[in-house]
Amino acid sequence: MKLFFSQLGWELYRLFARRRTYIGFGIFLAVEVLFYFMWTGDKAEGGMEKFIGRVAGGFDDYFSALTLAFLIVAFTMLVLGVVFVSLIAGDILAKETEDGNLRLILARPISRFRLLVVKFLSCQIYTTTLFVFVGVTAFGVGVIERGWGGGMLVWTPELPRVSLFEWNEGMFRYFVAVVGFSLIYLPVTGIAFMLGCFRIKPAAATIVTVAICVADRVLSAIPLPVFDPYREYFITSRMNAWMLLLYQEIPWPRFWEQAAWLLGIGLTGFVIGWLVFERRDVKS
Amino acid sequence: MSMLKFSGVTKKFDRGKPPALQDVSFEVEPGKICGLLGHNGAGKSTALGVILGMVHPDSGLVSIGGRSVLTEREKAILKVGAIFESPAFYEYLSGWKNLKILSSYSGGVTRKLMEETVEWVGLKDRIHDRVGAYSHGMRQRLALAQALLPRPEVLILDEPTDGLDPEGIIEFRGQLLELREQLGLTVLLSSHLLAEVEQVCDEVVILQQGIKVYEGRVREMEDGRLVYSIDSDNPEVTGKICEKLGGRSEEVGYSFPAELTASKLLSDLLREGAAVSHFSAEKNSLEDLYLRFSHAAGDGEKEVIR
Repeated sequence: MKLFFSQLGWELYRLFARRRTYIGFGIFLAVEVLFYFMWTGDKAEGGMEKFIGRVAGGFDDYFSALTLAFLIVAFTMLVLGVVFVSLIAGDILAKETEDGNLRLILARPISRFRLLVVKFLSCQIYTTTLFVFVGVTAFGVGVIERGWGGGMLVWTPELPRVSLFEWNEGMFRYFVAVVGFSLIYLPVTGIAFMLGCFRIKPAAATIVTVAICVADRVLSAIPLPVFDPYREYFITSRMNAWMLLLYQEIPWPRFWEQAAWLLGIGLTGFVIGWLVFERRDVKS
Repeated sequence: MSMLKFSGVTKKFDRGKPPALQDVSFEVEPGKICGLLGHNGAGKSTALGVILGMVHPDSGLVSIGGRSVLTEREKAILKVGAIFESPAFYEYLSGWKNLKILSSYSGGVTRKLMEETVEWVGLKDRIHDRVGAYSHGMRQRLALAQALLPRPEVLILDEPTDGLDPEGIIEFRGQLLELREQLGLTVLLSSHLLAEVEQVCDEVVILQQGIKVYEGRVREMEDGRLVYSIDSDNPEVTGKICEKLGGRSEEVGYSFPAELTASKLLSDLLREGAAVSHFSAEKNSLEDLYLRFSHAAGDGEKEVIR
């Protein structure tokens, strides 16, 4: 077990030592700043004032650092989440195969299964770190703009109604949702990782994963009754599960059901990838 | 017991194409250096891949130190170090960090062992530099270091001197012989460089289009015998006379004990009545051997000998 954690530690070290890993963090930060300016512009703020006045009253109280941080995170992740998770998970094995690093590793007494577990966990840890980074920086931006304290207002089209929280409860819910956000991306990690186990270019693994997610999102959003019976089978519909953590009362059974479904997809991706990789011939 | 046993291995990658390896068998005794020779596409890298468990054979058995690579891969290659042609390290990390990462997959590598190994391969002063700034020669040194860290009993070397300058090749050759001398390593060396194989290897396996065409000692004369090519108008009589003089039939002629000089041999042959029309001492170098067998196989003769 000690050896396993040593391998995981070095895999993470390798991942975080790459310059382009931080380019990802930088791009997230830039997009966050973009959304910050969008949400704090006169027009947007005027719209929010009307909206908050109508549903909760007390704009100054509810347009707080937490509300602003939530808006920034939700839209930033919507735009970039899939791309960056696919990029890392699709790259982690396929790039090493392409570069030839894998030959040196596979000449070691490590099983392919164990190697994949190390790499898959590294992807998930990277995803969580990235999302926590986005959550913390968005919160920091919110505090700079709106100051400490106040309430939290959460609303998106997926929510049945607006949720309102006091500061402490809101902060807890915000960070739980951020961590939950990283977990519901497990299917994206699983699909990209699985593709990376095939004889495929790293970029292709990323592009195909993004294409699958976009197609899934578009199909699940088509408002035709014919899709209704199948809507629950779309991955991106299930990925809205993180919003359940922001319901006024968290529907835990529903959340766990969705989480189990997403975990199942992610692990299925891993298992298929492992079966493919186990049978692959690795040659120069 | 053989340290490395490669038995009846067949591997086919694509349908409609000839197998990369076809019923190939060879063995390497402990402490021996065996050269694996062949043209590009002869199956050398596939053979090394099968030995390390990276390529799954269609049939056959491979074992290292008595453990099957196919069923107990992790245990079988525990004490194996490998160097590949143009080894790929993480360019953005230092040589030291690369060694740490690769060692984590083996386990049991101490800092002291790492420092000693780095010093032995001559990378002490540059080990904390980024690998991206390393020359080809330095990368090969790093590759040798990573191969030696698991304290191997077997070294698998795939074109280890490819791209090295002459000084680098000579140095590597010296290191290899030193390792064998000091640690008694068993080595399987795949190389295009016949002179290199001839100088360091005890045995050689020649592959041609996935088929083993030769396995045997590199220096045919290492048992002290000299080979002479003899043509005559009556070969049967000549053969009998040669045998009477202690000669043994070889591929290119007859080998005789080294103390039998060419002048005495020729005069004895003539005196005994052999009508000799051509007489010459054969070099019988590895190059001759390689060309003879690879050419024979290329002509479709598939001459296979043990």
